[in-house]
Formats: sequence, structure tokens, C-alpha cells
Amino acid sequence: MLHVLTLLVAALLALPLVAEAQKPIKVGMPMPLSGPPALFGDPASKGAQMFVDEINAKGGVLGRKLELIVRDSKADANEAVRVARELILKENVDFLVGTLTSAEGPAVSVVAKENKIVFIAPIPKTDQLTAADKLHPYVFRVAATTTMEGRSAAEIVAKWPVTQVATMSFDYAYGQDVTRAFVEHLKKIKPSAQIVDQQWPKLGEQDYNPFINAQMAKKPEAIFSSIWGGFFVTYSKQAKALGVFDTIKYNFIGVGEAATPETTKSMGADYPVGIWGNSYDAFYWGETAAHRDYTARLSKYLKDEYPSSWAIQGYIGMQFLTEAIRKAGSAESDKVAKALLGLAVETPIGPLTIREKDHQANRGQLYGKTVKDPKYPFAIMKPVTYVDPSRFMD
Amino acid sequence: MSVRGLAGLAVFVAALLVPALGSRFYTFLANDVIIWALFATSLNLLVGYTGLVSFGHAAYFGVGAYVTGILMKKLAVPFVLAWPAAGVVGAACALVFGFFCVRLTRIYFAMLTLAFAQIVWAICFKWNELTGGEQGMPEIPYPDFGWIERIGASVPLLGGWRTAEYFYFLCTVLVAASLWALHRIVTSPFGRMLTTIRENAERAEFIGVNVQRYELAAFVLAGTFAGLAGGLFGIFNRGVFPDFAYWTKSSEVLIMTLLGGMGTFFGPSIGALVLILLNQQIVSYTEYWPLVLGTVLVVLLFGFPGGLAGAVGALSGRLLRRVRSA
Repeated sequence: MLHVLTLLVAALLALPLVAEAQKPIKVGMPMPLSGPPALFGDPASKGAQMFVDEINAKGGVLGRKLELIVRDSKADANEAVRVARELILKENVDFLVGTLTSAEGPAVSVVAKENKIVFIAPIPKTDQLTAADKLHPYVFRVAATTTMEGRSAAEIVAKWPVTQVATMSFDYAYGQDVTRAFVEHLKKIKPSAQIVDQQWPKLGEQDYNPFINAQMAKKPEAIFSSIWGGFFVTYSKQAKALGVFDTIKYNFIGVGEAATPETTKSMGADYPVGIWGNSYDAFYWGETAAHRDYTARLSKYLKDEYPSSWAIQGYIGMQFLTEAIRKAGSAESDKVAKALLGLAVETPIGPLTIREKDHQANRGQLYGKTVKDPKYPFAIMKPVTYVDPSRFMD
Repeated sequence: MSVRGLAGLAVFVAALLVPALGSRFYTFLANDVIIWALFATSLNLLVGYTGLVSFGHAAYFGVGAYVTGILMKKLAVPFVLAWPAAGVVGAACALVFGFFCVRLTRIYFAMLTLAFAQIVWAICFKWNELTGGEQGMPEIPYPDFGWIERIGASVPLLGGWRTAEYFYFLCTVLVAASLWALHRIVTSPFGRMLTTIRENAERAEFIGVNVQRYELAAFVLAGTFAGLAGGLFGIFNRGVFPDFAYWTKSSEVLIMTLLGGMGTFFGPSIGALVLILLNQQIVSYTEYWPLVLGTVLVVLLFGFPGGLAGAVGALSGRLLRRVRSA
């Protein structure tokens, strides 16, 4: 059994020794880089990298360069935790910025708390991440929350001439939370509205026909959907074939980024043009000079004429971290965590502030009705409006 | 004490010294390795010693992790009770599932173990109130190490470690004890009978052995130790997730067992060590880690059917003979 010992020693020696020196500030990013969620995770990490490249070209922060270490979290909470711990223990990262799904975010938050390392979540939306019982000094979020997203959608639907509303959402944390927020807020601001039907397919459902048929039998006038990302493509194709959108006269709102340029681009002629949707960003928004400039830089960086709407979340996450380091005058997590409280940053999407009480940024989203635009080979939101959630964050 | 016993003791002491290297990452890796070593060895009781190939061993690992996790987190049960409970519930599940599985042979046995494991996974995934569903159950508390710190204040070497390091020491001791128990089991008359069944179940039956009952007993024991490994892993991992019971975990532990060599007692432990270190190293260089692993496995299976332990054993034997003849 001596070879066991030999193997152990040999293997430990083979591990690279971590060099100690005046080092760059290391930021670890657990992000899904494989499978369907990589469609969002990959551009988000690229957005963060673009920010890092830009700031390093200007000499970094506090005279130190930033270094971004991205690892595949496989859109899985367990894997995200593992990767986050490795980033802390092996790569000695100073901060964590990352995770995508509503399962990953809260799981990594626990790791950040135990290791006393600042963690900024750029994409997970579940309210649970910053809920009072889960909040700790090191977790921050620059994404929208399920409350903010559900209420934003309710504000829009309340203006439609409809009262019979149905919902279609996945049966898990994000779907349940965002739908609850939507329903509660809609009933509050428009008491005449009635929820006539709620369908809960399981996450990743492929066949929506039974759900659609059951829902249409209840004769809704409008539908709220939180079927997100690539799943929306599958769902809306089947709904279109069953004439759902025509029947409800396009009184349909898809949250969970159903109207991103990527989705409309990938669906082309199949996209149910005329529905409402949202997105974190849209290259055609261009409301401010800062956004136009950001889009131009991103377009060049990604070598894409119509750059991804997800990059901005990685970018803003890094932006907040960097500003906090600058404000704290230190790269120590305790000081940076304090600096993040109440920190206001000019982001490409506009000024954002991280609230002191729940570590949550007032990150709104773009909402709009999709239309065909001769300028682009796919549908866009027009007019596209940035819905500021500050009024209804609590 | 035999040479083997001494070697085992040396490995145990070496493992206890890992935190003294001063790197939290080495301790993290070593902790991962020893827990998986126990998990893989428990599987080897079935695969290597009894000749039953289980594709669903992660079920008991997952159950154990959830039992300890739920008891410690939600009911604040101390570790001394919550950990053994993982073994008990693991055994109970193995008894129920095993009752059906041992009635089938070969591929049908394997398929049924897989089917039961998938049921366990589905329950963990769906039962939101109890298990937290796909979000898992983060923040499993560490066992209370306050007492050891109080003693440690006056005894040198015992005090001043981090919680994760105390947990590592605890794991090392518990895994060593579990492996010792497993070793006693396989070298007992009962263990010899399992090997007899593996070699020729029909003949064993002819000499009056109740094969199914022995197989079920092995199945339950394997489930017990897998449950115990799971109980430790949930705490180590700082959270329990439905993935623990998923079939990929079952295949991972099966690969460890094959890689290390199912013919020897410590083979699976070596498999756990090598697979985890390889994984660590290779994923830093390439995303094609499964390709590398596949190649290693093909070479091993054709070149050294006895796994790494078998290969090293054969080589050292040859070397020894040469030294003696020279």
C-alpha cells in the first residue's frame, strides 16, 4: 500500500504553486459556458471581459490591473458552488461576480458569506437572493428581481383593454416568484382584472400543446408568460401554430427576456411579431450617448453587427465592483462591501444605485411591443421603453 | 501489525498532516478525495466483491446527504446523531430497493438500480418543501467544534485550526474507521462468501448458500456506507443538491472504482484520488476533459484490467522479482 502514499505526495507536488507577489486584483466569475444557457452566460462573461480590458488599458484601478477568471458553472447550483469555492481556494480570487440561474445565485451567495468575499450577482432574479433572511454583508445584485419584473409587466398589462388574464410559467423558483409578483400587482392596480387560468409546465418542457389547449379553453383575453430564453422559442412556435396570438389579439407579454434581439433574430419569420416582451439591453435602444458609445464598443469587441443584450450585465457587474474598489481605496472585501452600499454608478443603461437596505440595484429593463422594422432582418421592440422600477421595488 | 496495516496507518497519518501544509486548497482537495474514497469503496463491495454492477449507487449517497443536511439544518440535530442517521436511512432505502434488484440478474439488475436511483433523484428534485427542489439546500451547518477548540486552547497542535480544517480531521477519522469496518467485512467469512458468489453463484447455491439473501446483505451494507459518505459530503460541499443522486454521480463513482481497480480493497480509493486530481489539473488546461478521461479508461481497461492498483501491483511485483533474482 506504499504506492498510495507515493501517489499522494507526487500528485500534491504536481499542483502548481501559487506565486505570491504584487498581483492584479482577481475576480472570479462562475457562469454557464456550456449547454443552452451558454447563449446568455457566454456574452455576459464577454461583457465583463471587455470592461476589464478597457479599464486595464487605462491603468487599472488603484494602480493594479484587474484579472477576470471565468469558469463554467454548467447552469447548475452544485457545480456553481464547487467552481466558486475553487476560485476562492485555488485561484485566490478577491471577489466573485457571476452566476446566471435563480438556483445558482443563492447557492454561491452562501459561499461568499462563509469566505467573507464580495459577490455581485449580475443575472439571477429570484427575490430569495436578497430576501431579509438570506441577506448578508457580502451579497449584492445588479440584476432585476422577480418582484420588479413581475410588477413592470403588470403595469403594462393594466393599461390594456382586457380583464381576463392567464399566466404561463415554469414550475420552479423563478417562474413561481415572477408570476406571483405579476398577479398580486395587477390585482392591486387594476381590481377589475381576473386571473382565469394558470399553467405550470415543468422547467425545460418540450411539448406545450396540452398546456396551451387547456389555457385557451378558459378564453383569456391576455396572457402573461415567463417562459425564458430558448424555451420561449419552442413555446411560441407551438402557440403560434395553435393560433394563440391571433385569438388574444397579441395581448401577450413575455418576460424572461422574450424580446431580446437574439431571440427575435434566431426565430426570424417564426417570431410572433406584435407581442410585448422585455430585454436587459437592445443595441437599437440608443437613448443616451453613453449607451450608443457602449454599443459601438461592444459591437467591435464581439465582432457582431447586432451585439448581444446579455453582455451588459457582466459589464455593469464589473463596473460596480471597480467603482466600489476605487471608493474604498482598497481591494479588501470588508471595505468594498461597505463602499457598495448606496453606491451610484453611471452605467451604459443609465444611472443605477445599489440600495443600502437590501443590496439591490434599481435595475430596470427595456419593454416594448415587437414590430417589423425594414432596417433589420428581424423584429424589434418599438417604441422601446426603459421601465424604472424604483417606484415599486418594495 | 502486518505490512498492509502499517501502510494503511501511514496513509492515515499522512492524510491528517495535509492541513499542516498550510494551503486551504490542498485541504479542500484532500477532503473531497477521502469522502469519495469511502463512496467508491462502498460501491466496490458490490461491484468488486459480490459481482453486482450497480448503476444507481448515487441514490444512497444522495439520500445520506439529504438526511444529514435536513436533520442538521432544519431540525438542528447534532452531528453525532445526524451522521449515523444518514447510514441508517441509506441502509433502509437499500433494503427496499435491493429487495427487488437482487431478484434480477446482470443487465436487468443494473437497469433496476438505475431506475430506483432516478426515482430518488426525481423526489429530491420535485419535493420543494423538504429538499429545496432544484435550488438545493445550501448552508448546511458544520458540526459544533467549540468543545475541541476549548480543549485545544491548552493542548498544542489541537487548537487554532479553521472550521473547515477541523471538519477535515473529523472526516479523516470517520472515513478511516468506516474503511476499517469495510475491510473487516470483506475479510470476514461473510465477505469470503460474497466472493464465492461472485465467482460462481450457481455453485454457491448448490452448497446451500442463500445467494439472494447474501446479495441483499451486501447491497444494504453498500447503501449504508454510501449514505455515510453522502452525509459527510453534504457538509463538506456546503450544500446538498439533487445532483447528488443523479445518474452522472453513479457513473462517476463507478469510473473511480474501475480506474483504481476493483480487484483490490484500496483500488477505489486510489481511483478517487487520481480522478479528482486529474479532473482538477486537466480542466484548467482544456475543456475536453471527458475525452482525456475516456482515453485513460480505454488504455486501462485493455492494458491493465486490474485498474491502477492492479497495474502498480503487477509492475512492483515484476520489479521485486528482478531485484531478488539479481
